[in-house]
Amino acid sequence: MKAIIDWLDDRSGFRTLIKEALYEKVPGGARWRYVWGSCLTFAFFAQVVTGTLLWMFYSPSAQTAWESVYFLQYHVWGGWFLRGIHHYMAQAMVVLLVLHLMQVVIDGAYKAPRELNFWFGIALMGVTLGLSLTGYLLPWDQKGYWATTVATNLIAEVPLVGVYLQKLVVGGEEYGHHTVTRFFALHAGVLPGALIALVVGHIYLFRRHGIHAKEPRPKRDSYFWPDQVLKDAVACLAVALAVIVLTLYFHGAPLGPPADPASAFPARPEWYFLFLFQLLKYVPAFWGAVIIPAFVVLLMFAQPFIGKSEKGHRFNIGFLWCLLIGAGALTFLAFSEDRANKKHFAAVEEADWLAKRVVEIADKQGIPPSGAVTLLREDHENRARHLFSSNCASCHLYNGHDGRGFPVDSNQSAPDLAGFASRAWLEGLLDYDHYVSTKYFGGTAFKDGKMATKVLKKFGEKEKALVPKVAALLSDIAGLPYQEPLSEKEREEGFNVFFDELGCIDCHDIEDEDEGSAPDLTGYGSRDWLAAIVSDPSHERFYGKDNDRMPSFVRDEKLTVEEIGILVDWLRSKSSADSAVR
Amino acid sequence: MSEPNDSTDDGDRRAFITKATVGVSVACSVFPFAAGVPAFLDPVSGNGDGDAGEIPWSKVASFSALPEDGTPTRFGIVRERVTDAWSTLTNVPVGAVYIVKQGDQVKAFNLKCPHLGCAIDHRSDQGDFFCPCHNSSFAFDGSVSNPASPSPRGMDGLETKIENGFVYVRFQQFRPNLAEKVPLI
Ligand code: HEM
Ligand code: FES
Repeated sequence: MKAIIDWLDDRSGFRTLIKEALYEKVPGGARWRYVWGSCLTFAFFAQVVTGTLLWMFYSPSAQTAWESVYFLQYHVWGGWFLRGIHHYMAQAMVVLLVLHLMQVVIDGAYKAPRELNFWFGIALMGVTLGLSLTGYLLPWDQKGYWATTVATNLIAEVPLVGVYLQKLVVGGEEYGHHTVTRFFALHAGVLPGALIALVVGHIYLFRRHGIHAKEPRPKRDSYFWPDQVLKDAVACLAVALAVIVLTLYFHGAPLGPPADPASAFPARPEWYFLFLFQLLKYVPAFWGAVIIPAFVVLLMFAQPFIGKSEKGHRFNIGFLWCLLIGAGALTFLAFSEDRANKKHFAAVEEADWLAKRVVEIADKQGIPPSGAVTLLREDHENRARHLFSSNCASCHLYNGHDGRGFPVDSNQSAPDLAGFASRAWLEGLLDYDHYVSTKYFGGTAFKDGKMATKVLKKFGEKEKALVPKVAALLSDIAGLPYQEPLSEKEREEGFNVFFDELGCIDCHDIEDEDEGSAPDLTGYGSRDWLAAIVSDPSHERFYGKDNDRMPSFVRDEKLTVEEIGILVDWLRSKSSADSAVR
Repeated sequence: MSEPNDSTDDGDRRAFITKATVGVSVACSVFPFAAGVPAFLDPVSGNGDGDAGEIPWSKVASFSALPEDGTPTRFGIVRERVTDAWSTLTNVPVGAVYIVKQGDQVKAFNLKCPHLGCAIDHRSDQGDFFCPCHNSSFAFDGSVSNPASPSPRGMDGLETKIENGFVYVRFQQFRPNLAEKVPLI
């Protein structure tokens, strides 16, 4: 063994190289405050390794990017963990960048003769942020897609060449295959390559000038090896552990629903870019994306000169603190505005639901070549929510929301249809106070109709006690998939109440005995009945000329028969408790 | 840490620091690789195997259209439904077969050479099958016809049936370069 090493050393001189690398002097002894550069190098190394491993699974195209990440996340052994490490290490890098920058400036390590190296550092920061930005799009989920759209639209703000630059980055006018391939080439090729070149320069210059010792020096000088290396390695291990803990805690990186240009999602960048996002609410895009960042970067480039005097140095430190505090405040504002925004909350909830849903479907049936987004577009549950939201929610609510979980701007006028025809829903309907509340008919003309004023209002204790029986009967006729059917005896009791004890039959038909002016309850709440009333509520069988505003969806060609079927199946599929949104 | 210290445990302390440094550094360097080891090894982990289900019958040709004299005919096999990682695909070519008529029976052979997987040719002038990669030759019954052939076994026969005048094949692949025929799942 020793002979081989000696031979290698003789031919390469690697021992001297290692000695030079390790026996660098550390004036004032090893200190924790010097670890940040090593941590960043380590984090980048970890990104290169995990990124290359991710590469073995990633398929860069508009129809396969999300799909391949989904497969990695849910079907590859430990795939979620690998993705999680890369995701949280990227975030750790941003934190480390800030720490490194602050240490360098506070210690005065950026001043002559180290100006050049400080500039290298600023460039490294830019490249790392570029890696984070390009990486965010790669999973091609709703979040990455919409947030990155904002970022690439900002490129157009660059004077003169902006529009061309944007096209170059996007790979055309619109997002598509070439957006993914370009971002991936930037993310896994160009930017890491640039970063490596810059790091080499950065470390070379660092060695040339030696470490800048913070005064006062607490201890005697020592060597890089092993004292400083130990501190560096311990810090790196702490970073690794933090990233592992984050990965385990969040069970890997999030994966939203697949990018869908037709389904709006509130664009939010990763948390460390939120301050820029928030800034754009207050200043024109040109200022937020060009003038202010350019000013900040130029000022940072000038910092080594500004810092020549003691005052200038203090200005530099103050400037960075202001920048940090300002960014922190903007980030806080961005978070708290979102938290106070019910629609944003609903959009995030819906995205979470869609993300779960699409995985459920893809796990079961695989993904067609047109991509996972078609699975969601064709999913009946999702379509029903959208159909309800755009056709019904202008009058009806669903568990207090619009069917997709969004709050509704105007007041509800027609009944809330969550749990429609279930026992609980019917017992509510048959109670006067509920009937005239907005949850049922309070917003309609039926509030003052016969059913309310002549029937329900007159109910005494005896009648009220009978209501559950007739509710159970009607609900049984509906045959809802989540409810147990009644026994023969209970049905009979229900019919007794319907015909004799409460005399519902005086106005409502049931089981084809044709009498009555009020809606026909034959087959009440069944798929056919519900489809028929939605298709044409003004039909004789239902509200007839008493119909209050509800459109005849099929007669007026607002919905197709297929769409009605999807809606009806969905309405009948869940009790209101199951359909509740947090 | 680097205070001058002449006592005897100075040596111990340095040795400890050195060991600790090496240990922690190695842990850090190994960590990103370790994070990807399971995912990297996924193809050999057995995760996702099994449940291949029964091999489907593929309709290949009309029996009456096959040459009476037993000349092999080549047909592509198209599967109605194929899954590949995340994708579910329809009507995908998965391979090809030679069909040979023998009286009212047929024989089917996988196009792939059992040596190292090249596509086998049919040589009508020589009346045999010939693999142009490393010169294996096979008779029309699939057996190795020239003992100098590098192929360790004859061509891979496939299960066939004839129904309503059509030939069906259970298409599958086999592990190459073994004397016995081991199906790939
Ligand atoms: C400083 C270095 C790097 C940073 C900051 C970084 C950052 C990111 C980020 C933020 C993502 C999105 C992760 C997610 O949300 O799932 C990502 C994804 C990805 N990165 Fe990197 N990356 C770096 C280096 C690399 C390198 C060197 C490679 C390959 C050679 C790579 C390959 C990938 C791949 C394939 C994905 C997509 C897979 C996925 O999203 O799970 N990365 N990266
Ligand atoms: S692959 Fe056919 S002879 Fe080698």
